[in-house]
Amino acid sequence: MDNFTRRDFLQRTAAGLAVASVGSTGLLAQDGVLKVGVVHQGPISDTGWELFQARAWRAMEAAFPGKVRVTALDNVAQAQDAERVFRQLAAQGNKLLMGTTFSQYATLRKLAPTLNVNCECCAGIETTKNLGVFEARSYEGTYLTGIAAGKMTKTNVLGWVGAFPVPQVLYNLNGFLLGARSVNPAVVCKVVWANAWSDPAKEKDAINALVAQHADVLSGSPNTPVQGLAAEEKGVWSIGSTGDFSAYVRNKQLTSFELDWSPAYIEAAQRTLAGNWMPTARWRGLGPSGFVKLTTQNPVLPPEVVALMAEKEKAIVEGKLHPFTGPIKDQSGKVRVAAGTPLPDAQLAGIDWLVEGVQGTLPRG
Amino acid sequence: MTGSMLISIVMATLVAGTPLAYAALGELVAEKSGVLNLGIEGMMLAGAVTGFIAASATNSVWIGVAAGMMAGAALAAVFAVVAITLLASQVAAGLALAIFGTGLSSLLGKGYTGTSLVLEPSSVAAVVNQIPIVGPLLTQLHPLVYLSWLLFAGVNYFLYKTKAGLILRAVGESPASAHAIGYPVIRIRYLATIFGGAMSGVAGAYLATVYTPLWTEGMTAGRGWIALALVVFGTWRPARVLFGAYLFGGVTTAQLFAQGAGIPLPPELMSSLPYIATIVVLVLITRSRTLVRMNAPAALGQSFHAYA
Repeated sequence: MDNFTRRDFLQRTAAGLAVASVGSTGLLAQDGVLKVGVVHQGPISDTGWELFQARAWRAMEAAFPGKVRVTALDNVAQAQDAERVFRQLAAQGNKLLMGTTFSQYATLRKLAPTLNVNCECCAGIETTKNLGVFEARSYEGTYLTGIAAGKMTKTNVLGWVGAFPVPQVLYNLNGFLLGARSVNPAVVCKVVWANAWSDPAKEKDAINALVAQHADVLSGSPNTPVQGLAAEEKGVWSIGSTGDFSAYVRNKQLTSFELDWSPAYIEAAQRTLAGNWMPTARWRGLGPSGFVKLTTQNPVLPPEVVALMAEKEKAIVEGKLHPFTGPIKDQSGKVRVAAGTPLPDAQLAGIDWLVEGVQGTLPRG
Repeated sequence: MTGSMLISIVMATLVAGTPLAYAALGELVAEKSGVLNLGIEGMMLAGAVTGFIAASATNSVWIGVAAGMMAGAALAAVFAVVAITLLASQVAAGLALAIFGTGLSSLLGKGYTGTSLVLEPSSVAAVVNQIPIVGPLLTQLHPLVYLSWLLFAGVNYFLYKTKAGLILRAVGESPASAHAIGYPVIRIRYLATIFGGAMSGVAGAYLATVYTPLWTEGMTAGRGWIALALVVFGTWRPARVLFGAYLFGGVTTAQLFAQGAGIPLPPELMSSLPYIATIVVLVLITRSRTLVRMNAPAALGQSFHAYA
């Protein structure tokens, strides 16, 4: 069921509701198929956040051929719409609902206890009755790509285009600089806040502003290739942080990593099918069943840098290296993480400070 | 601030202000003829998606811009039929078309979301680049930016130095009188509206093929509405409208440069600065009713029927 559009869904809702009202008790529908409902906030496209979610539910469908049927709606932009859509999906007999973004978390948190189905929300915060959450330790990815950046920068200035100063973006940014500083202590990172998750014109202007400040390796959390293309135009490196844009940015993408949510989706479906689904909170990074996967390396990267990145990746997966191991100071010089100890997860998930070496204010809000 | 950064900011301002300049100058001509076209945002998006699709099919920016222009003109023609011939409320029809254009662009752009254009480097630019000193500076800006200045000069000349422009302004001031003299009011309004739509289409195509060569839904991000405000901001005078377009574009990009330079102003404030600046200027300009009455076309927004 690829790209089951909203129009199709509405057309079939009438029939679907009639069937659902007859009542389908039990976890599986009459023909033993688990029906899963997925709601995307934006349009599913070639690149970006929605693509990763789409890949994940397609992988889930492929992992259980014939036993899982997905109804995916995209472009449900408002939270109020999302609430209505989730309710309809549940009434239609979907026994597993997947929320794909943080903005649906509040909706699902309210709905899940009232619906008799299993819910999961990507980028959610806390579990509750019937609701599990999962998030990626993307800072592990930015740490590794930061190593590449630190080695390849000639001006010792990195650039980061931030969307919003939420913890997910902040720990990515901090991880990036920490990784760069682990190989090049003199490096700094300038940050420009675009105040939008996806506004191509603004992102392009932000890149130009950073390049004007002599940044020569740029990163951020782009949903489209515009940042990489703008960087390439100016002749500087870009790093595909949460996205591999090498199909568009032919020469100047240094490295990239992607988010792979399929372990979360597949596990959710598996446990629902087996009948032992429980609300869990998963926060995983690199590793075989993790959510962060390094992708391309530009051939220009020297082999010792690639080897170093592989070595650090192995260390992180084995638990021997935590990117946020002290001593770490924040921008004001205060020691935030004591020497030798890693920053605890609870503090990491709610981080609201920038490490020393990041140049740019943190919008208070 | 170093010289090179100043040049970067000026370049960024010109680039950011160009789509606004096109859309606002087009709307200026339409409003001078008495037609209030609120659907600029929809026409811009329609121009953007059409321009992107055409450019990605033919690998040529100019074909994309031409296609965008025709898409904007087509949408404006629909608006013209509804508002001028069928005498519907111009405000309602314009808003409806804005929403329609937005939805239509999302629909047409379905298969292209997030994809990016791969364009041939321009051979003309390679030649111009050879010119010593000014060459590299000139090629930093796309020809469409220079054409926008040509458009400004053309609109200015047309409106104030030609008889046709005088007739158009007359139609905007008092269509009944113009009709009594014998001028084809309906035809003039049609042409002005379609021209306005075409320019909005060019603005959208510029955004999608030159500024950021990719398509995402709603990529104009409200610029159509800003262009609308800029026409009032400039009290319906082309020079002031152009100034407003660059002011808005400049403030939008300057705040990003300021962040990069480490100026410690809250980014949310800087993000809203362009809109605040526009509102402040609008309030200042319209505080004097005389000023507005002297410059606004007297019959703006009023439907005209010969026998009404």
